[in-house]
Amino acid sequence: MAAAALLELRQLSVAGRGGVPRLEGVNLVIEPGERVALLGPSGAGKSTLLTVANGLLAPSSGTVLWQGEAPARSRRARRRQQARIGTLWQDLRLIEELSVQQNLNAGRLAAWGWPRALLNLLLPLDTAANAAVLARVDLAAELLGQPVAALSGGQRQRVAIARLLRQDPTLLLADEPLASLDPRLAASLLALLLAEATPPRALLLSLHRPDLLAGFDRVIGLRAGRLVFDAAAADLQGPAGVARLQELYRGEDRKTDGQADGQTDGARDGAGDGEPGEPARPAGAGSLWAAPDR
Amino acid sequence: MTGVGGGEIPALETPALEGAPNGGAGRGFLLRPAAPLLVLLPSLVLLPLLAVPFLAHGGGLDLLGQFALAAFTPSLDPLVLRSALTGLATTVGMALLGWSASLVLGLLLGLASSRTLWRSCWGQLWPAELIRRLLAIPRSIHELLWGLLLLQLVGLQPVVAVVAIAIPFGALVARVVADLLDGLDTGRLEALRLASVPAPAALLTALGPPLLPGLLSYSGYRLECALRSATLLGVFGLGGLGTDLKLTLQSLEFHELWTGLWLLLAVMLALETGLGWLRRRWLMPRRLGLGRAGRGRAGVGARGREMVLSLAALLPLTIGVGWALGVDPRALLAWQPLQGVGGSGWLDGERLLALPWPALIGSTLALTLLAAALAVGLPPLQLLLSAPWPAARRLVRMSWALARLWPPPLTALLLLLVLQPGLITAALALGLHNAGILGRLLAEALADATPAVEQALASGGVRPRLALLYGRYPAIARPYLAYGAYRADVLLRETVVVGLVGATGLGSQLLESLSSFAWDQLLALVAVYALLTLLGEELSDRVRRRLLQRV
Repeated sequence: MAAAALLELRQLSVAGRGGVPRLEGVNLVIEPGERVALLGPSGAGKSTLLTVANGLLAPSSGTVLWQGEAPARSRRARRRQQARIGTLWQDLRLIEELSVQQNLNAGRLAAWGWPRALLNLLLPLDTAANAAVLARVDLAAELLGQPVAALSGGQRQRVAIARLLRQDPTLLLADEPLASLDPRLAASLLALLLAEATPPRALLLSLHRPDLLAGFDRVIGLRAGRLVFDAAAADLQGPAGVARLQELYRGEDRKTDGQADGQTDGARDGAGDGEPGEPARPAGAGSLWAAPDR
Repeated sequence: MTGVGGGEIPALETPALEGAPNGGAGRGFLLRPAAPLLVLLPSLVLLPLLAVPFLAHGGGLDLLGQFALAAFTPSLDPLVLRSALTGLATTVGMALLGWSASLVLGLLLGLASSRTLWRSCWGQLWPAELIRRLLAIPRSIHELLWGLLLLQLVGLQPVVAVVAIAIPFGALVARVVADLLDGLDTGRLEALRLASVPAPAALLTALGPPLLPGLLSYSGYRLECALRSATLLGVFGLGGLGTDLKLTLQSLEFHELWTGLWLLLAVMLALETGLGWLRRRWLMPRRLGLGRAGRGRAGVGARGREMVLSLAALLPLTIGVGWALGVDPRALLAWQPLQGVGGSGWLDGERLLALPWPALIGSTLALTLLAAALAVGLPPLQLLLSAPWPAARRLVRMSWALARLWPPPLTALLLLLVLQPGLITAALALGLHNAGILGRLLAEALADATPAVEQALASGGVRPRLALLYGRYPAIARPYLAYGAYRADVLLRETVVVGLVGATGLGSQLLESLSSFAWDQLLALVAVYALLTLLGEELSDRVRRRLLQRV
């Protein structure tokens, strides 16, 4: 590929409390057009990796390269680099007090100067562009004037994605965006994100559960801060792949065994359950786990 | 001077995030400023203030420069130091005494004006309402006025400053105590009363523990106010460091002036830090409910004994200080005859009507609004401008601390070195002082607000200032403005303290009448002032409720 990799992490480590590193010796390259799932149990370091990737957290050692460049020293150049990276946060981080339109325009703030930023708080700006991104996430343009606080959960998720589209980054990062969503909503949001990740864009999305891997090109397994595997999604099919995934969640499975027995039926509807922080048993209808578990 | 500040503060609620009514564009008017912009709107008042250079009267700029430079070279002469320390001790002592007296007074009056109490113990409501109404009067008169009136009545006594602080502060504390009491769940009290537990014991058991943290937090804040007020009273000749500050400023002894100022700043910051530490240690609610709600509303808990012991330790301390300062309550009983009062024609209707009332009231209101806009609008703007540079931000905070402790009449005197007396000069003096108080509040609220959105924006390459504006200001906008509305009502009371240099408004007329012994005018002016303040209080209450309204 002619263009430089969108994201490259070399020997990346992040120190943690009590001498236990949050990330250790992580190597990762993401090329334009790639759709990468970041998989791992709770506390594996997925969020840490994403915050290093978007520049919010500086690694203790190792290198981050954005499109082949190291993070710039000058603040201005650094911001220009970061403007090309868009993050979908698990808690969405919408601005509750503002309207949908103003929130969408907040995606443009990096590019805007003061006059527009202030005007956005006073007048509806760029209505056509905002309606267009709303249409891409299957929301009606009528929502533009609504306060974000008045939206339903599913609408909020979509507005957050639409804001990302307004930012128009090349590297899309998403931190467990599907946790605590019902399965249908999770599937449709994932489809939206995957559809936007076409060259020159790429998507790196962290998942707690391995049951929504369809549509990804690559899967990265993270465990206790270390990269356990980095494989093409196709390689994780079949018994060998299942074994790798089981290895990734080893221990966590055991931890929840007690509850899991009672839950097996409920666990069929998969993605619906599970607080992000709580170790959920990876299972579900049509999941990669199904066979060995029975 | 926060003077009579902080009344209904604990009653402020943090508005629910969901359902903030500002829908932005899209419905109703096209122009609908959104929350973060609302915070910045008051700073538009800075535009007319750009006219300030035209008010300059030429001379005095070099004096102002000397004043600023002297900050780095305060006088370390042992004599100067000793006098400043003595003055400081007097001021702190007066503040402490006035504050303790106001707590006792406020607690008693607060109990007496609690609806809950009257209902559950005597089955009557009207006495509570009556006492509430009556308490509005001492509350509406600034401590400086009380001080000056008492000065005329009993002469220069140490007790004057103490009582001047205790009266309005006590009325304020009473209101807060009553509001806290009435906001509590009365189930426990009623249960105890049904079990025929005697009233005082039932009260203490049922209402004491849940009341204590809120009350302690508020009284800590009042102690800061008391220190500022004691300094201010000194400026008007009631003794202590304030008097020294004024004299050194008037004689242009800037180095000596800064000796006192730095000492005062150290005490003030130590007090604020210490109280903040106690607040955290005792899990007391944040001031003003601007921060996270809910946390610390848990009641007394394990620290209860510590709180009670600290309160008990105050008693001997207060007595010791009172003895050292020579405060003698009996002095209050020895009234001097007021010159001319009671004589024929001391009450002259024509002379009263001859006062330019509309102009006086109008300029007082203009002064209040201008100063309030400055006080509310400046801090968010300063924070925004200094956002990219931590050093600049520290400087801004330092300037707020200085503004807080520096009494407005002294600022006014300083401004008079370069500006002409008038409305704008007075508004600047008053506004800057209050900006220091609001600034600290804003910084506290921002520190408590979650940084998530700001971080999210920053991670997408948004500049620090815009990230602050979009990421943090929206959530605090309404509670901050609501507090600003409350502050405006405090400012109305405070206009009297810059009357001296304002050459405008009721305040200056009042001081003039006082010095010319026109008692009838003085009485009328105080009454009008109180009336205005009560109206202002009502108005600002409404604005605040509207701002905090949940939809």
